[in-house]
Amino acid sequence: MKLLRVLRFARLQLQRHALRTMLALGGIAVAMLLWTVIRSAELGVAQATELTALDTKLIVYRQNRYCPFASQLPQHYASAIERIPGVRGVSPVKIVVSNCRASLDVLTFRGVQPEWVERNLAPGISMIDGSVDAWKARGDAALLGEELAARRRLRAGDTFRSAGVTATVAGIFSSEDPQDRNAAFVHLPFLQEQAKRGGSGGIVTQFTVTVDDPDRLEAVARAIDATFERDQFPTSTTPEKHFVARAAQDVVQLAGFASWVALAALVAVFALVANALALAMQARVRDTAVLEVLGYTGPLIAWMTLFEGLALAFVGGAIGAVAAWAGLAFLRPAFSAEGAVIEIVPSLAVVGTGLAASALVGVLAALAPALRAASLGAAQALRAG
Amino acid sequence: MPLVEARGLVRIYRRGEHEIRPLDGLDIDIARGAYLALMGPSGSGKSTLLNLLAGIDRPTHGSLLIDGVDIGSLSRRALAEWRSRHVGIVFQLYNLVPVLTAYENVELPLLLHAWSRRERHRRVTTALEQVGIAHRHDHFPRQLSGGEEQRVAIARAIVTEPTLLLADEPTGDLDRTSAGAVLDLLGTLHRERQLTIVMVTHDPRAAERAEQTRHMENGRLAEVHA
Repeated sequence: MKLLRVLRFARLQLQRHALRTMLALGGIAVAMLLWTVIRSAELGVAQATELTALDTKLIVYRQNRYCPFASQLPQHYASAIERIPGVRGVSPVKIVVSNCRASLDVLTFRGVQPEWVERNLAPGISMIDGSVDAWKARGDAALLGEELAARRRLRAGDTFRSAGVTATVAGIFSSEDPQDRNAAFVHLPFLQEQAKRGGSGGIVTQFTVTVDDPDRLEAVARAIDATFERDQFPTSTTPEKHFVARAAQDVVQLAGFASWVALAALVAVFALVANALALAMQARVRDTAVLEVLGYTGPLIAWMTLFEGLALAFVGGAIGAVAAWAGLAFLRPAFSAEGAVIEIVPSLAVVGTGLAASALVGVLAALAPALRAASLGAAQALRAG
Repeated sequence: MPLVEARGLVRIYRRGEHEIRPLDGLDIDIARGAYLALMGPSGSGKSTLLNLLAGIDRPTHGSLLIDGVDIGSLSRRALAEWRSRHVGIVFQLYNLVPVLTAYENVELPLLLHAWSRRERHRRVTTALEQVGIAHRHDHFPRQLSGGEEQRVAIARAIVTEPTLLLADEPTGDLDRTSAGAVLDLLGTLHRERQLTIVMVTHDPRAAERAEQTRHMENGRLAEVHA
């Protein structure tokens, strides 16, 4: 209780040195904003590229081709793939992207067949706007993932144009799969017709294959590639997340490098808190001595200093982390490379981790000034002050 | 039995290879309810004695009993606790915390005790009224004159109703009028509260207000005027 009462004094020190506090908070907030954005990007990379025990999707691509424009496969491969043991479903997919390079706003069209939508897409999604029936009823219709729709501010009934394709939004859905919620699903013949650059009817970019058993993912992939090994169009089949990791290699490498920047952001928080408190304690030698004279013990003074560090780091961290979260939730940015999408995920778990990390760093940074203030001694401090 | 009983007090500081003895075998008794002025040249040990009486420093040798408590034997924590209950200190330069209002400065020592907010308010208000500065309770030290700051410092020193009030050159930084007012206030507190006051001063006019004056020289009492 005594500690709670005297913490008011520490709060007033922060509150009434407004400029110093605001500058420290500003610096900490910027550092934690950076940290949160980077950690959110890393989370998006992990979600999009790390295989889990529940993954059942394979991507069949043209061997040695690395861009949707270059990967051309005959649509009739679908029936051959369907006959391979362990395959539950096959969907020929035509992909048209507005930009083949890594970018923050790429629109990916996926040309699919209505049966695939019925069997594979519809069971795993929930419609937010419009309907699958409206999509089936119209040739130029598009089913949009919620992230893409939010980024482009599109609603059911809107017509949009990108990458030379003009489509009408028939529905918007939410999905657990980041690849789905960032794509526009259109009818395969419609996309084949609209996107002349990638070939005409009968040619697709890739096949999306669903397998019965996640444990057989690799075995089925090998079987598919073996089937077309001697064909004119040999294939390269990988789990969807490995495909994303390869396609978005630049982004993944960038995220790896950015983790150092995130670490640097925490170091910046440490430096800002330590600097703010070291300067404050230096200016408050006499105040500290007065507190000791009044009966405040060294440990109590140390706790008050630690509280100042904690408060600075926590409040600054909260401002930065929540601003980053809100910004990501509003802008919903996603990296896209070769049609593979990596979202920068606004995650409350990341915000929570950031707050905890920031608070811990704040306490650690306050440790040296706190111990120094606690060990000064009233008589010595009064002489020094 | 005197309130303060000091025998053979020695305080030694070391600065490099040099040894400094501001107190060198001091004996002193201070009666309960006394108003004592300590005078003497710089370096005679007045402030060192005040620090020992305040419990913010410890004797190197000798014994110091205040109200029956051997100050030298208390742990650092126990000494801080004792200080918060039994001693009030007034400094020459007031030493108010600049970011706190007059009210908050006076409340500062009370936060160490388990009094309710209402009780703290009552004590702070009473102390501020007693020193005649209640109307400036929400002012910060920078908004007060030197005399007013010293009044707030006195209020802070008496708010816990200490056994011993120590004043280190309380008028040293004030003009004559303000100094007179502060000395009047100390005199009133002494009479009305039977407060034991030990005041270090260089000013003979201030010393005249005390009941007794003692001179220090070379770390010991030089002479006693009753």
